[in-house]
Amino acid sequence: MSADVETGLPQARYSYGGDEFVFVELAEAMSLKVNFRAMAITNRLKEEGVEGVMDVCPSNASYMVRIDPDVLHPDTLISRLKEIDEEVGDVKGFELRTRVVDVPVMMEDPWTHEALMRFRDRHQDPEATDLEYSARINGYDSKDDFIAALLGSPWLITMIGFVPGLPWCYQLVPPEEQVEVPKYVRPRTFTPERAFGFGGGFAVVYSVQGAGGYQLYGLAPAPVLDVKQRLKDFEDSIVFPKPGDVWNYRGVDREEFDEIRASVEDGSFEYRKKDFTFRADRALEDPHAYNEEILGVLYGD
Amino acid sequence: MAIRVKSPGLLTTVQDTGRFGEYAIGMPPSGAMDVFSYQVGNYLVGNEDGSAGLEITYFGPELEFTESAVIAVTGAEMPPKINGEEAPTWETLSVEEGDVLSFDYLRNGARSYLAVAGGIDVPVFMHSRSTYTLIGLGGYEGRALQAGDELQLGDARNGDARNGDAQVGKKVDADAIPRYTKETELRVIIGLASYRLTQESMKEFLNVEWTVTPDADRVGYRYRGGELGFVEREQPAGAGSDPANVVDFGYPIGSIQVPGGVEPIVLMNDAVTGGGYATIGTVISADRDRLAQSKTNDKTRFRSIELEEALAARGDRRKTLAEIKDSLA
Amino acid sequence: MAKTVKAQMPGTFYRRPDPDSDFYVEEGGSVSAGDTVGLIEVMKSFHEVKAEEDGTVSKFLVEHEDAVDAGQDLLELE
Repeated sequence: MSADVETGLPQARYSYGGDEFVFVELAEAMSLKVNFRAMAITNRLKEEGVEGVMDVCPSNASYMVRIDPDVLHPDTLISRLKEIDEEVGDVKGFELRTRVVDVPVMMEDPWTHEALMRFRDRHQDPEATDLEYSARINGYDSKDDFIAALLGSPWLITMIGFVPGLPWCYQLVPPEEQVEVPKYVRPRTFTPERAFGFGGGFAVVYSVQGAGGYQLYGLAPAPVLDVKQRLKDFEDSIVFPKPGDVWNYRGVDREEFDEIRASVEDGSFEYRKKDFTFRADRALEDPHAYNEEILGVLYGD
Repeated sequence: MAIRVKSPGLLTTVQDTGRFGEYAIGMPPSGAMDVFSYQVGNYLVGNEDGSAGLEITYFGPELEFTESAVIAVTGAEMPPKINGEEAPTWETLSVEEGDVLSFDYLRNGARSYLAVAGGIDVPVFMHSRSTYTLIGLGGYEGRALQAGDELQLGDARNGDARNGDAQVGKKVDADAIPRYTKETELRVIIGLASYRLTQESMKEFLNVEWTVTPDADRVGYRYRGGELGFVEREQPAGAGSDPANVVDFGYPIGSIQVPGGVEPIVLMNDAVTGGGYATIGTVISADRDRLAQSKTNDKTRFRSIELEEALAARGDRRKTLAEIKDSLA
Repeated sequence: MAKTVKAQMPGTFYRRPDPDSDFYVEEGGSVSAGDTVGLIEVMKSFHEVKAEEDGTVSKFLVEHEDAVDAGQDLLELE
């Protein structure tokens, strides 16, 4: 793979997704920096309001644009995207007006535990739980240390999709601290709605019940998808997460889990969240110090 | 009420052109799989473009009309019958109160479309009436039709409302009616993460005569018949350990992935919008109508083309549809 | 002329509900109207094939796990 000498960034691959999509893979490997580039480029494209652009979909290390080729020729779009790519460069100084959100999750809850035990024959290590297995292969002494790492630093939402509202989350920690786990050998046919899972380098909250191949660790009491738009956080969209959100997964016990479930049921639940301007340079330079600051914004008064 | 479902058939859903503009939140378009047949149905009954109709898969329903209506059946060779008498397809028909529309066995193709003057009136959800069964939204209560359901008709007639009658007896020119066979060729633009496949495997992909598996549905068409391999590499950060996996990315509609190396899947209208399987190319929009009319156990070949040919095919299809529309106006 | 039971839809034909069970009916066995004589798998679900009248199965015209077309004769009834 060729590399751009000046910036040290890998060369993006521009590709046609049939006649209706342009797909751009910025890099094969995931990193915070490449996701910042994907967000910077797609935000710029959205701001420009180019006629013929129908959907702009930022992804983890790539992005995709759906077009009406009768209005906008894919090559015309690609030329403009290459210009935007140069303007964005190595995302030095990239800022994102976003929000930081408290997302409760009950680790080792009884419901996902039951689900994962049903599918041990599809797992790499049928003798261990998903948490025990993931902790071991990532070099943690215990699953509690592993859980502490997942709950210890906030995450960036780097992509939404698969099914409506499912957020891919990448932890704001240095590369050497990133967790990485394989997906199940064969996917499960069942995953509970709101299950907290992990696959490759990404944490997710399953927005709906269904098939799935990610390792399962816990359950979120609050939804990420509300088709009926009952809850306040869903007034504008059936989907809560947005690319560029910063989420802090906070461990809750059964008591708090039940309280939150009750408030979801009676329609009063609202996520704790604060507006926040995310500075990419700071997240890359000293993530732990920056994370402390982010959590201060979320939980301070 | 205007249509009572006596028996639902195998999978009969309310569909229109689809739910577009929501891909970035993970919402697939849904909508009619064979857009050509669906649109021609609306032309026949004098509906506004985009009016909702019924998509009927593999085995037809029995539908009783509780008021007179103007209808047309397009798509697969699955002969419609009115009160047991065979009726023509690709032609505008009138039915009276109490008439029952049923279908004979499927002969060729996979999906029939029922257009009714005025359109099927179900609530619009995110600017579409299309059914997306996976999370139960759109269409009739978010699901496929069931016995006992009662459908309302809308007022989506073109021009002089209620005057669908003027369309009765109009038919699509025989030359313009698609012929479905048990062999389909689909044109693809190779790309996306095609660099993950070995060169021999790409050749194999394009040379093999693939067979549509029984799994093929509105989510995706799965094929068998060959075996494909991936280029060896040290898996990049975030991708997971399986060579078929990539760092999760977006899937274009029509894109082809090969999860286990043996069964390529073409993602269709109700598909997942992204994930971690390497995609190797995309079936062009003009050929997805025919893909949707291929049925389980039919044969399929994939042919690699360049973008300009895909855009030309798109233009031809649009022109053909416009000509049919003019001929029926 | 022998009566037949036809496939309502295309798919894969199975003569038993799961790999551990016996066939629904053997050649020479008798069936009543409404009895299940097989399953057709298509679009990730299974659909029962039922006899429409009473009779004795004289012959299966397709094998267990064969691909079948809609309207195809699956077995003969006497």
